[in-house]
Amino acid sequence: MTTELITKETLANGRTYIHRTSAHCETGVTSALFRDKGLDISEPMIFGIGSGIFFGHLPFIKQTGLPVSTFRSIPGLVFKKAAKRLGVKVFRKRFRNQQKGMDELRRVIRTGQIVAVTTNIYWLSFFPRRYRFNFSGHNFIVLYENENGFRISDPALLEYTTDCSTHDMERARFARGPMEARGLMYYPLSVNPDHDIRKACITGMKDSCKQMLKIPIPLFGVKGMRYLAKKVIKWPDKLGYVEACRQLAHILRLQEEMGTGGAGFRFMYAAFLQEAAELFGSEELAELSQEMTAIGDIWREFAVVSARIIKQRGQSEETFAKVGGLMLICAGREEQLFKDLDKVARKLKA
Amino acid sequence: MKVSEVPQDITYYEGEKRACYALNDKGKYVIVTSTGWNDEAVVNSLAVEELAEHLEETRKEVFAGTRSPLYYHMESRQMNPRILAKTAGLAVFRVKRHFHPEIFARLKPSLLARYAKALALSVEELKTVPEKRDERGNSK
Repeated sequence: MTTELITKETLANGRTYIHRTSAHCETGVTSALFRDKGLDISEPMIFGIGSGIFFGHLPFIKQTGLPVSTFRSIPGLVFKKAAKRLGVKVFRKRFRNQQKGMDELRRVIRTGQIVAVTTNIYWLSFFPRRYRFNFSGHNFIVLYENENGFRISDPALLEYTTDCSTHDMERARFARGPMEARGLMYYPLSVNPDHDIRKACITGMKDSCKQMLKIPIPLFGVKGMRYLAKKVIKWPDKLGYVEACRQLAHILRLQEEMGTGGAGFRFMYAAFLQEAAELFGSEELAELSQEMTAIGDIWREFAVVSARIIKQRGQSEETFAKVGGLMLICAGREEQLFKDLDKVARKLKA
Repeated sequence: MKVSEVPQDITYYEGEKRACYALNDKGKYVIVTSTGWNDEAVVNSLAVEELAEHLEETRKEVFAGTRSPLYYHMESRQMNPRILAKTAGLAVFRVKRHFHPEIFARLKPSLLARYAKALALSVEELKTVPEKRDERGNSK
């Protein structure tokens, strides 16, 4: 159960592609793309180097009418940053014309190059039905064409590769609406053979600290957590119990559901810190990894308590004050953690 | 979170599994698959039910003659007037006008075909709404 889950596929030019299950779509896809180019790198490493960890409360962006709170950086940014920091040259293109977009995808996969595409989940019929919400931001890898349409590898959802019909692919890639992908496809062109993974890690860590601590807008990073926590505490009085539950459920969905690997990416970051600790032989990083795990466990508790509130509709003893309090604890501990990480990262030698 | 604590509550992902990171006995992070988590099911079903509930209300409104079937199919595809207008290549105000049943009934076949394509339905399906509540709520 805990060992790596691997499926193999043969590409158009006879090369072998290895499918590995991952916890999140973008990092999983990025790691698979880089591995295909011979840069063997794990998913948490990509997440750390690409500075994927974040927090933001975005009351002005609405998803199904509810404000969005995010536990990660903007979709697409992890790939861009990780590629830049590891010296990977990438091809990235959107299309105005649907036909051209599909033709280009077919052309590239025929050469045996695997391609990542960004899609709208609603139109992907291989997805479990209850997860098919109108959200344009799911990434997976297209391997080759077959009689059913395309053979794809979706590392974040499936343990094996699957088929996606041409119709699904067209609709999903070119779905209109918020954050539309406009047929975005991307793949690495070449990997710099003497990339410096240690330097990339340090840059990634420092950037994450900056994102979590230094953005001078109170909606982002640790400040954003405090802002949201205070709002959560006031929700039942301000919005009424039912609406408060809806809003809380929405935070939980973003925290646990959207392919986060649990606890809003905190465990994945802890996994990164652990791997970095081994790489640098740093005791301090190992301690920080343990602290991150502890914070992840509090986020987990936050989810459990919140789910209890939502399920029992006012009958339970748990209160919004308690979940808000848990979030404040997370904010405090994450603030300390990123301050420490900033100091540690500055001392590390590339 | 330890490997033994990774939730394996329910076969929630319709047989699929998802993965997350957890600590093994030696305190090292490994990737573990999970079949589902009850607490996550709570929030997901809340969202799915809300959509289904909303769709059911719209279905009744269509039968009551206050909305056109177009509105129902738009909602069943989780779109709003703006998204539908973009997908069909029409102006938003025109799409909104077509939510009136009497105006919708007079639409030209070419326009209906356009909507049918945008919503991935046949023209026949577009003109009617299901007799019964769509239990799946979420999608076709």
